[in-house]
Amino acid sequence: MPTITLSRVSKFYDSSTPAISELDLEIGHGEFMCLLGPSGCGKSTTLRVIAGLENLTKGEVLIGGRVLDSRDQGIFVPPEKRGTGLVFQSYALWPHLTVERNVSFGLRLRKVSREERQRRVEFVMRTLGIEKFRDRYPSQLSGGQQQRVALARMLVIEPNVLLLDEPLSNLDAKLRLKMRAELKRIHAEFGTTIVFVTHDQWEALTLSTRVAVMNEGSLQQVGSPDEIYNSPANLFVAEFVGNPPINMIPISDGNGEELSVTTKQYLARTFKEIGGVGFVGIRPETILLLPDAAVGSSRNLTSRAEVSGILPTGGNWIVELDVAGAPLFVSTSEPPGCAPGKHVCFQVNPASLHLFDLDGFRVSR
Amino acid sequence: MSLQPTIRDTPASSRRGSRRALLKYYFKVGWREPTAIIGVLMVVLFAYLVAVPIVTLLHDAIEVQFGDARRAKSEVGTWTYYYLQRTLASPISKILFWEPLVHTLAIATGVIVISLSLGIPLAWLLSRSDMYGRRWFATALIVPYMLPSWTFALAWRTLFRNRTVGGQQGWLENLGFTPPDWLAYGQVPITVILALHYAPFVILLFGNALRGFDSQLEESARILGAKSGTVAWQIIFPLMLPALLSATILIFAKCLGEFGVNYLLGLPVDYNVLATSLYRSISSRQSGVAAVLAGAIMLIGIISLLIDARLVRESRRFVTVGGKGAMSRNSPLGVYRLPASAFAALIFLISVGLPLLVLMLSTVMRIPADFSIDNFTLDYWIGQNLETVALRTGILLTPDLWAAAWNTLRIVGLASLCSGLLGLLVGYVVVRSRVSFVSSFLRHVTFFPYLVPGIAFAVAYLSLFAVPRGPIPALYGTGLILILALTADQMPYSSRAGISAMMQLGKDPEEAAQIAGAGWLRRMISVVIPIQKGALVTGTLLPFISGIKGLSLFVVLAVPSTDVLTTYSLRLIDNNYTQAANAVVLIIAAMAYFGTLAVQNVTKTNLADGLGG
Repeated sequence: MPTITLSRVSKFYDSSTPAISELDLEIGHGEFMCLLGPSGCGKSTTLRVIAGLENLTKGEVLIGGRVLDSRDQGIFVPPEKRGTGLVFQSYALWPHLTVERNVSFGLRLRKVSREERQRRVEFVMRTLGIEKFRDRYPSQLSGGQQQRVALARMLVIEPNVLLLDEPLSNLDAKLRLKMRAELKRIHAEFGTTIVFVTHDQWEALTLSTRVAVMNEGSLQQVGSPDEIYNSPANLFVAEFVGNPPINMIPISDGNGEELSVTTKQYLARTFKEIGGVGFVGIRPETILLLPDAAVGSSRNLTSRAEVSGILPTGGNWIVELDVAGAPLFVSTSEPPGCAPGKHVCFQVNPASLHLFDLDGFRVSR
Repeated sequence: MSLQPTIRDTPASSRRGSRRALLKYYFKVGWREPTAIIGVLMVVLFAYLVAVPIVTLLHDAIEVQFGDARRAKSEVGTWTYYYLQRTLASPISKILFWEPLVHTLAIATGVIVISLSLGIPLAWLLSRSDMYGRRWFATALIVPYMLPSWTFALAWRTLFRNRTVGGQQGWLENLGFTPPDWLAYGQVPITVILALHYAPFVILLFGNALRGFDSQLEESARILGAKSGTVAWQIIFPLMLPALLSATILIFAKCLGEFGVNYLLGLPVDYNVLATSLYRSISSRQSGVAAVLAGAIMLIGIISLLIDARLVRESRRFVTVGGKGAMSRNSPLGVYRLPASAFAALIFLISVGLPLLVLMLSTVMRIPADFSIDNFTLDYWIGQNLETVALRTGILLTPDLWAAAWNTLRIVGLASLCSGLLGLLVGYVVVRSRVSFVSSFLRHVTFFPYLVPGIAFAVAYLSLFAVPRGPIPALYGTGLILILALTADQMPYSSRAGISAMMQLGKDPEEAAQIAGAGWLRRMISVVIPIQKGALVTGTLLPFISGIKGLSLFVVLAVPSTDVLTTYSLRLIDNNYTQAANAVVLIIAAMAYFGTLAVQNVTKTNLADGLGG
C-alpha cells in the first residue's frame, strides 16, 4: 500500500533561505493528512515536492517504497509518471475544453477504452454532482462547480495519492462548509490517501486524521487534531491553533507584570518543579468567569480582574480582562453577566494550563 | 558517535559515484524535457541574430575597412582610431556628427514638448471628462500612430513644397504664395509632424494611467478641503509621473531612429540628423564612419532607456495598487464642454483629416491646387498610355507596385510569423526553463533590439551579412536578410507579448496536465497552444502592421529585387512621381489602419498593449 515518505527533505530556491528544511514525514495509506501553517511556511512547496513539480535540494521522496526523487541516487521521476493527483488552488481548469473533456483528459492519455472511460467519467461526475455541466466551459461555472471539476479530473484517474492545495480558500463560507463535508465523504468513498494543504486551522482540525503543523519551512508537530489542540508541542503550535488565540503569559524573571508574578507564585504553589517554565498558556475557553462574590476552590487559580471590553461573536462572547495591566482573553458561550469597567472573578483549572520552557518547547508534567 | 570519521573515510570511488549520480540528477531535473533543448537553440539563434550583428558593427568602427588603408595609414583589418577621429574630431566631424547630433536633440526636445502639451489635455479629456464624442475621439485621435509617420511628411511636401527644389510644386506655391524654406523644410515641419505622430503615445500611456487612477485618492484630498488645482498638482501629477516619463523616453528613443520624415523634409535644405547622416555614410560606402554613427545612436538610445528605467523605478515607489475603488469618475466640463470638443476635433483635423485629404486629392489632380473640374483625373491610379517618360500607366496597373506589394506581404508576413512564433517560444522558455541563465539571457537579448534604432540595426546586419562568413553565404540582396533583420527587430514586442501571455497563463494549467500524465508534446498540443491562440495572433499581426509601414530597415537592406511598398514609394519620390508616391503611401496607410482595427477587433485588445512598432 502506498505510503508517502519524506526523509530529510530540503528545498532551496535561493542559496540562503530554505523553503523547506530537513523535513521528515511519513503519511500512511488511507490517511487524510493536513499540512497546516501560515502562508510562506513551505506547505505548498512540500505538496509540489511530492507531486514532482519541484525537485529536491537534499533528502529523498518515496511513495510506496519506490524512490521518486533523490539527488544522491541520481533519481528523479517526472510528475507525469508519478500517478499522483493534484488539485490546484486556482483549480487550473483548461479553459478551452468542456467539463467532460477536462475530466476525461487523463483517461484519454492513458488510452483507456471508450466504454471504460465513459463509465468512469460518468461515475465521478455523478458522485460530485457535475454531470449536468458536462458540455459547459469552465468560464461558465461558478467557483464551487469549477472546484468539483478540478477534483473530478484528478479522481477519475484513481491516483495513488490525492494532493489538495488550499482547494477551499476561494469559496464562500457556506460553500466551504459543504465542500468540507464533501471531501470527507470522498475520502471515505474512494479510500484514497489525501494530503491537504491549508492555512485554516478549523479546516485542518475538522477534516484530517492527522495534522502536520509547519512554520518557516520546518515541521513543528505531527499528530491527531486532538493532540495538536490539546497538547501543542511548542509555542508556535499553541499560538497558531485556536481562535481566539491562546493567552500566553511570559513568566521569565525580570518580567515585572503582576500577572506573571501571581501566575508564577501560583505555579510554585501548585507544582513542585517549575524551574524550566518560561511561558504559561491558557486557552480562552478554559477560563471560567464567576460572579464577583463567589470564591473558587483552592485547587484552582482564582483571581479578580477588571473587564476592559466585551466582544459578542454571535452566540459566543470574548471578554477582555485587564489583569494588572496585562490583557487576558476569556471566551464564553454564556452571556457574561458583567460590563466594561466592572470587576469579575475568574478561575482556571491548573490541568488545562500549557507550560513551555524558555526555548518555547512544551514542558510535560 | 560522530559523523566526522564516516565522511573522511568515504572511498574516492564512491565519491566519484555520487558525483555521477549528481550529474544524472541534474540531467533528469533540468534537461529531461525539450524545454531545455529549445532554450539552448533559442540562445544560439538570438546570440546570432541580435548579439553578433551588433558586435560586428561595433567592431567595424575600430578596424580599418577595405579601401581605407591609405587614409588610415594602416593595413586593412588592423586596429584603428581613424573612424572615431574622423567622425568625432576632424574638420568634417561637424557635418558628419555634431550638427546632426544637435539637430536630433533639438527635434526630439521640440517633439516631446509639443506632444506632451497636446497629449496630456487630450488624454484627460478622453478618460476623465464628459466631452462630446469621447468614444469616437478615443479611436480617432490615435489614428496618426497607426499610419506611417512619413505619410504626413508627404502631405506636408504636397502642401508647402517651394521652388527650392525641382519637380511638381506645392499647393501654396501654385496658389501664388511661396512658403519660406523654414516652413517648407527642416526643423519646423519635422518637429510638428513627429509631434503629431507621437502625441498618441502620450494619449495612450497617460490615458491608461489616468483610467487606472483610484479616484478615492483624489476624493480623500477633496474631502480634506483641497481645491481642484491642488489636487491635480499634489495628488494626480506625482502619481502620473511614471507614465509621463515613459512616454517621454519612448518618444525620445523613437525620434532618435526616425528616418523617413527627416529624409523627406531635411534633405532639400541639408538639414541632417544622426539617422540621415548615417544613411549618407552608408550610401557613400564609409562603413567605418557608419559604424561609429550607429554606435553613437545605440549608445544614446541605451542611456536614455537606462535613465527611464531608473526614474520609473524611483517614482514607482509611490504608486499604490488600485483596490476595488479604482474607478474613475468623470468631471463635468460645464461651459467648456463645447470648446474642449472643438479642440479635440481641431487636433484630429490637423493630424489626420487634413493630411489624408491632401494626399488623396493630390493623387487625382494633374496640377496642384487647381480645383477646376477638368484638372481632376484618375490617370494616376488607373490611367493607360500616359505621356510620361517612365511609369506610363496608373499606379494600380504598374507591375512594380504589385511586385512590391507581394514582396511586402511575403517578407513582412514571414518575418511576423517567425517573430510571433519565436516570441511565444521565448515566453515559454523564459517562464519554464529551470536553467536561470537561459531565461535571463533570452529575456534580455530579445529586448535589446528595442534599444537600437532600426537604421542602426540594419547597418549592423549589413555589416555582418554583406560578406560570406563561415557557413553562411553573403545574404545582402536576398529576401532572407530582410526577414532575419525584421524578425530580430520585432522580437522586443513579440517576446514581451509571449512572456506576458505565458506569465498570465501561469504554470497551473500545464502542471495540471502534467499531473494527469501528459508528456511535453501532448501538453503543448492539447493545452498550451490552444490556450495561447489569441496571443499568437496578436504576436504575429502587430509586427506585421508595424513592418508594412517600416522604412528604416528596408531603406538600408532592400535592393530593387526585394523592393517593398515603402522603399518603392521612396524611389518614386526621388524620381519626382509625386502622385504615384502619394498613392502608394495611401495604400500602405490603409493597410496599416485596417490591419490595426482588425487586430483590435479579433483580439479585443487595446492598442496600448502593442505600443512601439
